[in-house]
Order: sequence, then structure tokens, then C-alpha cells
Amino acid sequence: MTGRAGSTGRLGARAIAALQAALAAEQAACYGYGVVGARLNASAPPGQGADADWVAHQVARDGLTALITAAGATPVPAPVAYELPIQVNTVAQARSLAVILEDNVAAAYMSLVGLSDTSLRELGTRELTAAALRAARWRRSTVPFPGLEPGDEHSLQPG
Amino acid sequence: MIPLLASACRGVQVLGAPPPAPPDVRQLRTAISAERVLIAGYRAAIPRVSADASASAALAGLLAEHEQHLAQLSSRLIVPAGSADSAAPKATAAIPIPAAMPAALAALATAEQAASHRLATQLLGMPPSLAQLLASISASEATHVPVLDALWRSP
Repeated sequence: MTGRAGSTGRLGARAIAALQAALAAEQAACYGYGVVGARLNASAPPGQGADADWVAHQVARDGLTALITAAGATPVPAPVAYELPIQVNTVAQARSLAVILEDNVAAAYMSLVGLSDTSLRELGTRELTAAALRAARWRRSTVPFPGLEPGDEHSLQPG
Repeated sequence: MIPLLASACRGVQVLGAPPPAPPDVRQLRTAISAERVLIAGYRAAIPRVSADASASAALAGLLAEHEQHLAQLSSRLIVPAGSADSAAPKATAAIPIPAAMPAALAALATAEQAASHRLATQLLGMPPSLAQLLASISASEATHVPVLDALWRSP
């Protein structure tokens, strides 16, 4: 992750709030992909498990943590656990949870796109696209407006 | 047509040229034009894949998403009548669609990737709500690429 915002403390309250929201979504994704992977990886063909996506969210989470810290704010820590929005007992349910996680991440990064800071807007666009690509793979279909689709009712809640 | 202003005291004055549309309006018009080009590309490609029901259905679905993109972009365009840029934009170069199905699908994939990158750059100078719409459309067009790639790479 790169950008001017990473090396300064000049970010305003709105930018910090958007970064914290993106961090919260990435933290939830890291937790959720642990569940997805536990269900998928034993039966998935090589390359079709959840490991790569899990790592991608860990990297993004760590990058956001560093950005928030560099801006002079304190990253909000992740909850110890979350209440999952759906039961995950089958491979199909695991795929559905992955879609929910990615949709929530995409929506969170949309807040960064709405900022005036160019580097944060670039970061938001890049991560929004990455989340949309992962969601489309898990969903096995595309949607016309990633990040702007309704989906908040499925967000993970701290448990 | 040259706009005229009638004044009882000073006679008839010819107004200067209307001001150009602001940059975000021009960028929006460019995005609309690019979306129309993609739609035309899909409409040209669909007959070339008609023998493959799976590819036909996939292209129809992607075309429908582009039509939604165009509708959303067009709904954001509000240009005062008579402004310098109110006329239709110059046509953007059409996507050449080869006759063979794999090449037609590959051409669409290339066009989708280019359109996604272009929007990701354009949005940097746009007002926030438009930037968000363009980012979403850019992401959507990026998701079309693997769909098209899978179709043309499949035996």
C-alpha cells in the first residue's frame, strides 16, 4: 500500500473515520475467512481455497493500521470474536459468507473513494476493485455496482 | 446559432460564446461515450457467439450491466441548454469485433480492462459522489474481464 497519506499526520477526522471503517471491515474479513477456509480448504481443489484471499485481507488490514497510526490516530482493535450473519455448515454457505465479507469490504472502501485526498481515493478504488473481483469469483456472477449494492444487513457484528 | 440579448436602451448585443462545461461534466460525458462504445461492442459480439448458448447468456448479462451503467451515468449529466458542451460528444472509436468467437471475446475483455483503468484515473478529479459511481463502474468492468477470459479460453 502506498500513498502520500501514509507518511503524514495531516488527515482530517473524516478521512480517519473512513480508514477506521475500512479497517473494521478488513478485520471482520480476516475473522470470517478463517471460518470460510476451515469449511472450504479441506475439500477445495488446489488454488480454489480461501487462503490467498485471507492473506490479502491480512495485508490490507496491516496497511490500514499503519496508515492510521502514521496519521497520528489509534487504530481501533478488532473484537475478539464476531457473530456470523449466516450459519456456515456447508461449502455453499462458506461461499455465501465469503461474498458477504467481500461486499462489506467493498462498501467500506467506497467511503475512501468519497474523500478528496487523491492517494486515499486511489487506495479505495484499488481495494474496491480487488474486493469486487473476489466477490464475483465466490458468487460466480457479477453485479453492476460493486460497493454500492445493498448489503449492510449482512455485516458481521462483534460477538 | 448565436444567442442574442435584446436591450431597450443599448440596442441588440451579441453575447459571447457560452462558457465551456466544467471539467467534471466533460469527464462524465467521456464516461458516457465510453459506455456507449462498450454497449455497441457487446451488441456486435453477441451474434458472433450465437452458436454457444453459455457465451450468449453471459454476454447478454454483461450487456445488461453496461446498460445499467449508462443509465446511471446519464442520470447524473445535467447540462444547461445552450452551454458549449451540450451537443452530443464526438463518437469514441468503436471496438473492432473479430468474426471468430474467441477473438471477439478477447477483444471485449481487452476493452473492458482498458475502460476500467480509464475510469479509475478519471474519477480522481471528480466530485465525491461521481467518483464513487465511477469507481463502482470501474470495479464492475474489471469483474467482466475474468468472465470473458474464461469464455474464450474454454475449449
